[in-house]
Amino acid sequence: MARRSDKLKPEPKKEGLVDYANDEPSAFASMLGGLIEANVKSRIEKRKDFSTLVARVGIWVNDIDEGVTLDFKGTGGWLTVHNGLVPNRTLTIRTDAETVMSLSNLKIGVFGLPIYYDEVGRGVAAKLLSGKLKIDGLLPNVMTLNAVTRIFSVQ
Amino acid sequence: MTVKAFSAEWADAFKDEVNKSTAYKAAGKGWKWTVGLVVEAEPDKHFAESRGIVMDLFDGEARDIKVGPAADAQKCDFVITAPYSRWKQVATKELDATKGMLQGKLKLKGDLPTIVRYTKASQEMTECTTRIPVEWPDEATS
Repeated sequence: MARRSDKLKPEPKKEGLVDYANDEPSAFASMLGGLIEANVKSRIEKRKDFSTLVARVGIWVNDIDEGVTLDFKGTGGWLTVHNGLVPNRTLTIRTDAETVMSLSNLKIGVFGLPIYYDEVGRGVAAKLLSGKLKIDGLLPNVMTLNAVTRIFSVQ
Repeated sequence: MTVKAFSAEWADAFKDEVNKSTAYKAAGKGWKWTVGLVVEAEPDKHFAESRGIVMDLFDGEARDIKVGPAADAQKCDFVITAPYSRWKQVATKELDATKGMLQGKLKLKGDLPTIVRYTKASQEMTECTTRIPVEWPDEATS
């Protein structure tokens, strides 16, 4: 089976909104990077968050044993996606593939806060309470999580 | 009745299953794009030629599902491509389609926010494939 190269590019090129740190981005990295890029390009309300957010957010999917780090760099809107978890993360989300999809389906309500009282929101909250969704670094970074959720949400 | 995998009869049975599904009817509300499934050939598994499944889905209903050349499926708004044995894994519940996409085992082309918005609908479509009794070419005895 062909192995993916984990070699890092010397310096990511700034083309578009999203760049990939690895020569061969994983399928998961390409999907999340592609999702965020399409979301930000098509939804003007997401651009403000994207252009100002500075945070490193890890997402680890337990049931596929794969993860990515989303390195939001601010500076007018630039994201570098790394294969796997890289150090110095602001937040790390650990959950299963289905919940990752639910997170991207959270609706955003008034004041830009994610809605946790509809069906999808209740499902996410239940996973958080049952420990099936773990967010390292949540308490000091609630605002960052909300901004990431707004960028990530397709709703 | 058992049908041959990815045959015209299979497409009819799939359409019936989708249209019987109340879960799909609800989750697919608002969907208005065509979906193509490309089943890549695996001659060693007795699946000699790639096939395309073209699905005309609209607002929670399967208006038409047809099997034809892979090129037809590649023209759809959303295209999911995988070798025959991967699709078999999906249809026999060995592989979850969402995980398969995240792992790159099923390759997806199309607007990602839209497909993510309809995750539930695509999960139910996958469920529909698992309800069809299928004769798999690599398991056929004669």
